[in-house]
Amino acid sequence: MKKIVYIILSLLTFAACIKLDPLLYNKQALEEYGFEKYAGEQEVVLDNSYALPDSVIHLLKLNSQTSGEKTASEIYAVYLGQISRIATDTVIVYCHGTKWHMDFYYNRAKLLAHLGGKNNYGVLMMDYRGYGMSKGDPSEEGMYTDVDACLKWLKEKGLSANRTIFYGFSLGSAPATELTSKPRTLSPSKLILESPFASSDMMVADASQLNMPGIYFTELKIDNAEEIKNVQQPFMWIHGVKDDFLSVETHGQTIYNNYKGIYREAHRIEGAGHPNVPVVWGIDNYKKAVLNFIRK
Amino acid sequence: MSANAKPVIFTKWAIAALLLLNACAPSRLVKPLKKGEQIVSGSFGGPLIKFSGAPIPLPFTTFSYAKGITDKISGFASLHSTSLLFGNLQTDLGICMDVYTKNKFGISITPAIQTALSFKSAQAIRLWPSLDANFRYEFTKGFLYAGTHSWFEFSKTRANDTKQERWLLPNYHIGFTKTNPKWNHQFEVKLLLPNTSIYPGVVDYMGINGKGAIGLYYCVTRKF
Repeated sequence: MKKIVYIILSLLTFAACIKLDPLLYNKQALEEYGFEKYAGEQEVVLDNSYALPDSVIHLLKLNSQTSGEKTASEIYAVYLGQISRIATDTVIVYCHGTKWHMDFYYNRAKLLAHLGGKNNYGVLMMDYRGYGMSKGDPSEEGMYTDVDACLKWLKEKGLSANRTIFYGFSLGSAPATELTSKPRTLSPSKLILESPFASSDMMVADASQLNMPGIYFTELKIDNAEEIKNVQQPFMWIHGVKDDFLSVETHGQTIYNNYKGIYREAHRIEGAGHPNVPVVWGIDNYKKAVLNFIRK
Repeated sequence: MSANAKPVIFTKWAIAALLLLNACAPSRLVKPLKKGEQIVSGSFGGPLIKFSGAPIPLPFTTFSYAKGITDKISGFASLHSTSLLFGNLQTDLGICMDVYTKNKFGISITPAIQTALSFKSAQAIRLWPSLDANFRYEFTKGFLYAGTHSWFEFSKTRANDTKQERWLLPNYHIGFTKTNPKWNHQFEVKLLLPNTSIYPGVVDYMGINGKGAIGLYYCVTRKF
């Protein structure tokens, strides 16, 4: 009996030493970015007509420092477009999903750059700390700060709020929604979320089938379903109906229902899963819908 | 998030969510103890997942104490030690009672209260009633059993004030307990949430037709 008590007391000593938070980030380190030369796996495959010349692909190295950090993390971002035109162009800030690095999402960013014509929009995409060549370890606050570091750079180049569009895909819906709800450097004029997740609580509730608090497994505060209530800017929601990772009903629809701003539109894409909405929807249909929303 | 990213993330979140639940232990008591008899037990096992191509049970552990109140009713309390590692105190408290016995056959029910709370938030306290029903057949040195283990969720809402759709989460199991004078060894196979889609092709749970998960468990019991 005493042994059992000792074992239990030992376990209590180690209580709370495990968190799932780091597991949210499926990062992969890179020694260099390939972009147009990247030959690895991508979900969206584009033909050569989408190719961009080196002159409009700008790799950026920025410093990002959260309020609790003593030193800044060096993060990497890419700007697609003419930097000199940031002061006059509309720019889409693309917050990618959890997988790997910017190379994996490069074609998605290029699609946005080609809305309404070849290389028509400036697009800025970043690797959150720990992803690709960005230094440091990923964290929720770090992710928000990294995106904001990019916004600072854009603002320095002359970008204004009324020409800023936020686009968040999957994990990227967290910084996109957070920084729209609680703006730091730039508040966007419009928000687009593709396959977003409602909250870490919803992730746990979906998995457990019960009313189980997310805090049982994570200290992540991500709550897009709550943050969206503060968003007044026009909002576009895109989600695959067959999304078997983030349910269109429990995640996407909950966010959409909670939006109380001035304009919203929903695109539930039949047959599409989590990662392949543009492909299943059709690249042209996808581009047309996003462009229409941006130009509204 | 790509298709390849999903197994990494979802598996771990789902595992975590499931481990706090009914997936983390075999049946507590199938046959009531004799009046005054006491036992402590430790269990190991969980839902089967494919790990590097090979099926392995998730290594969840629990510890239990039980005492015979009468010859037909025993009380028990358990601590879910794996949950503890996540900073949660999860216990179950209940009784096992024989409702029918004849010769080598017996039927018992085990109502219990499953309790979970987080050390990180005073608001994160949950109670779930659960109910086991077991049929057993006794041999000279053990007994074979089969039954159900169900959780009940009476909350009307869940995350983000959305509607809680399910109120009953059933599981089914079959097992064998080898009895010895001082030690018992229990082996059990569970079919966890068999009517629930476990995201086919996304998570490497080993279920049946993409639903539920099969769990394997071992429990060792010391009698006093």
